Amino acid sequence: MQITSAMPIAKMVGSNRVVLGNGIVHVTGDASLGPEEEKELRRKLVQKALEALKSAGEQ
Amino acid sequence: MQLTLARHPIAELRFGASTYLDKTTLVIDREELGRLLLADGSLQEVRFEIVHPGESCRAGPVFDIVEPRAKEPGCSPDFPGVLGPPLTAGSGTTRVLAGAAVTVLSEKSTDESRGVTGRVLEMSGAPAEASPYSSLRHLVVVPRTRPGLAKHAIEKAYRLAGLRCAVHLARAALGQPPESTHPFEPVGPARKGREGIPRVAYVGQIFSRQRKPAVDEPVLYGLNTDGMLPVVLDPDEWLDGAILPSYHSSIGGAETYFYQNHPVILELYRRHHAGDLSFVGTVATVAGSDNFDRDRNCRAAANLVRWVLSAEAAVLTKYGGGVPHADLAETARLLEGYGIRTAVMVTDSSRDRRVESALLFNFPEVNAIVYNGGNGTRWTLPRAERIVTPSAEMAELLGGPIELGAANIIGVTNQQGASRLRGVVY
Amino acid sequence: MRVVHYLNQFYAGIGAEEKAGIPLEARAGAVGPAKLLDQLLGEGARVVATLVCGDNYAVEHQQEVIASLVAKVREERADLFVAGPCFDAGRYGMAAGALCSAVHAELGIPVVTGMSEENPGADLYREALYIIDSGTSPAKMREVVGKMAALGKKLVNKAAVGLPAEEGYLRRGLLRDQLVEDTAGKRLVDMILAKVKGEPFESEMLPAQFPPVPMPPPVKDLSRAKVMLVTDGGLVPKGNPDKIEPRAATRWGCYSIEGRSDLRGEDYEISHGGYDPRFVQEDPDRLVPLDAARELEQSGVIGKLHHEFISTSGLSNPLSNTRRLGREIAEKVKKEGVDAVILTST
Repeated sequence: MQITSAMPIAKMVGSNRVVLGNGIVHVTGDASLGPEEEKELRRKLVQKALEALKSAGEQ
Repeated sequence: MQLTLARHPIAELRFGASTYLDKTTLVIDREELGRLLLADGSLQEVRFEIVHPGESCRAGPVFDIVEPRAKEPGCSPDFPGVLGPPLTAGSGTTRVLAGAAVTVLSEKSTDESRGVTGRVLEMSGAPAEASPYSSLRHLVVVPRTRPGLAKHAIEKAYRLAGLRCAVHLARAALGQPPESTHPFEPVGPARKGREGIPRVAYVGQIFSRQRKPAVDEPVLYGLNTDGMLPVVLDPDEWLDGAILPSYHSSIGGAETYFYQNHPVILELYRRHHAGDLSFVGTVATVAGSDNFDRDRNCRAAANLVRWVLSAEAAVLTKYGGGVPHADLAETARLLEGYGIRTAVMVTDSSRDRRVESALLFNFPEVNAIVYNGGNGTRWTLPRAERIVTPSAEMAELLGGPIELGAANIIGVTNQQGASRLRGVVY
Repeated sequence: MRVVHYLNQFYAGIGAEEKAGIPLEARAGAVGPAKLLDQLLGEGARVVATLVCGDNYAVEHQQEVIASLVAKVREERADLFVAGPCFDAGRYGMAAGALCSAVHAELGIPVVTGMSEENPGADLYREALYIIDSGTSPAKMREVVGKMAALGKKLVNKAAVGLPAEEGYLRRGLLRDQLVEDTAGKRLVDMILAKVKGEPFESEMLPAQFPPVPMPPPVKDLSRAKVMLVTDGGLVPKGNPDKIEPRAATRWGCYSIEGRSDLRGEDYEISHGGYDPRFVQEDPDRLVPLDAARELEQSGVIGKLHHEFISTSGLSNPLSNTRRLGREIAEKVKKEGVDAVILTST
């Protein structure tokens, strides 16, 4: 599955199972958060990614 | 708004003991100009050179090109929000030294996408034929900034130098009769008397959030656009100094000169004056930093076109590289969904010269596309007789022969609509 | 200008289907449509040889025919090689395409062929070759051969070749730059006016087409699955040992995360350029989420996190590269027995 912030591009090329990333410059992070919160955000995002892997697919 | 351009065509630039306009010759007191620019403590030194069309001359890296223009006293300010208070641009008379340009160099290329040479001004040969800048007379400003300045402070110094110089030179025209005056008929969504003619709006990206702006980077009335939503502007605001190019590169190039002489806005005005369309106004917008930002901005821009400008059609241009492509297409797609017909201008970035690699969007309704080229064109620039550049190393590099891509010759791949180099499918 | 012309058995006047098995033969001078070509090429050009082959033979012995033909064309010191026109004859079109490609590749001389848009040879060869659109009707032979002659001469003389509509060839799907009269701004306004008034207009580019990617079935049990991290954000070990290019990358790399539960900025660098790298450089987990993935592995949510991550750069990367990169990476992933991939893209 794919984590990206450029959803229109992913849609266009036919990527299956796409989860929205958190910005182009830190797709699985967030520089404006403190380290603990950022880790939590990343954890949640990767969990979402895993959900996508288990799903029948759709963005 | 009621904007009038008072044109003073310039056939020659030369240095002299004072700055004055003698018919079509602009005489420039470079000492006085130097003192003016050095009042900015960020500049340690500044040098000036005059470059004319047809010369075997190359200058670079170019930071910006500005047309010498000055407002009549009592009108809106020159470059509001930057050189003066942020009052609305675009009213009253602006003196224009047509055919002249102030070209500011940078000590190192500030344009990450253009390599070490950055964008280069080329005054003769094949590359010159493809650029609108080679037919202008340039006062090239070669700055040296104080050591130890942060990047954005350096860029700010270059920006201010160019604007101040341009205004100063054009003030030589004050009090002199122009060769011609060009009033712009006021346009807008509420203007009457244009029933039955297509209502057309312009949506222009002025910044791309692929990168964050510098905190004091002036783009819109001196603002850096961070956090902004799209905004409706009168076309005269674009033409009269409200908008400046971001420090961050626009893949094909964007210069202050072509905000002042905006090819799309001027063409819309021309067709408006000819009665072919009703120019209902413009939206200045920004390419988003992520999906949310993109969705938010695209919808806001489309809504302004729909509800505020009541347009039936819109033309759109972009700023920046690949991701802004997606914003452009998404805004157009939304407009088409509202029944508003669109035409978009994009820049070829395909690397393998195949149509398949060319576009980053696939919306059947976004089917009117103007395609700027340049990616497949390289020129070998011969040894130039004259190199204008801030350092010996750069002079060595640019002296030639040197092979450069079309996007490295300033003006050739301009994204504001000035380019005549088309990407053609065959 | 010395020209060699290739025809099938039918157009050479030897016979129809019953002669489709004849091997390659050479005739001195011009035969059949080659005579027309010779005439339409005019002064200064001559068809010096006509090469003929049965359509079936050409398909069944393709390599041999190609080799023989290339040798003969070389022997004849041809400046131009022409094949067809094939109209909608499929085997003929495929042979013409293959032969033209080979001659051009091995001898470096210009080649021209002709066939209809629907000919299977058209789809396969239109990008590589100039194929005059012959339509399906052989009644148009004279007109078609005329266009082939005109284009052939331009190619030999290295004159500028016009657009498909002007010269009559099938759109090749390639891009080139052309300096035009009107600025992009003017062309944009002209185009919108035509579009909004319902008048015909010609877009300078057509929207992209991507074939659908079949969706693999979902992972049944993540707790037993081997998951791998892949990125196109260009994260590479310091020093970029595999020299992955920041744009139009032709390479990808595989980097060990054995025993690691966190990526440290000091160990990596970014070879990309299409995004501000500061945040990822500071903490590469912001691009390749190793820390989160490792936790999920340790807590049993995923069975195993594969001990390497794969990286390349997606910036300005044409399909001609990325198709291959994708295939190679997919092969490696399969080889490692990975069940699922998390691909992070900037």
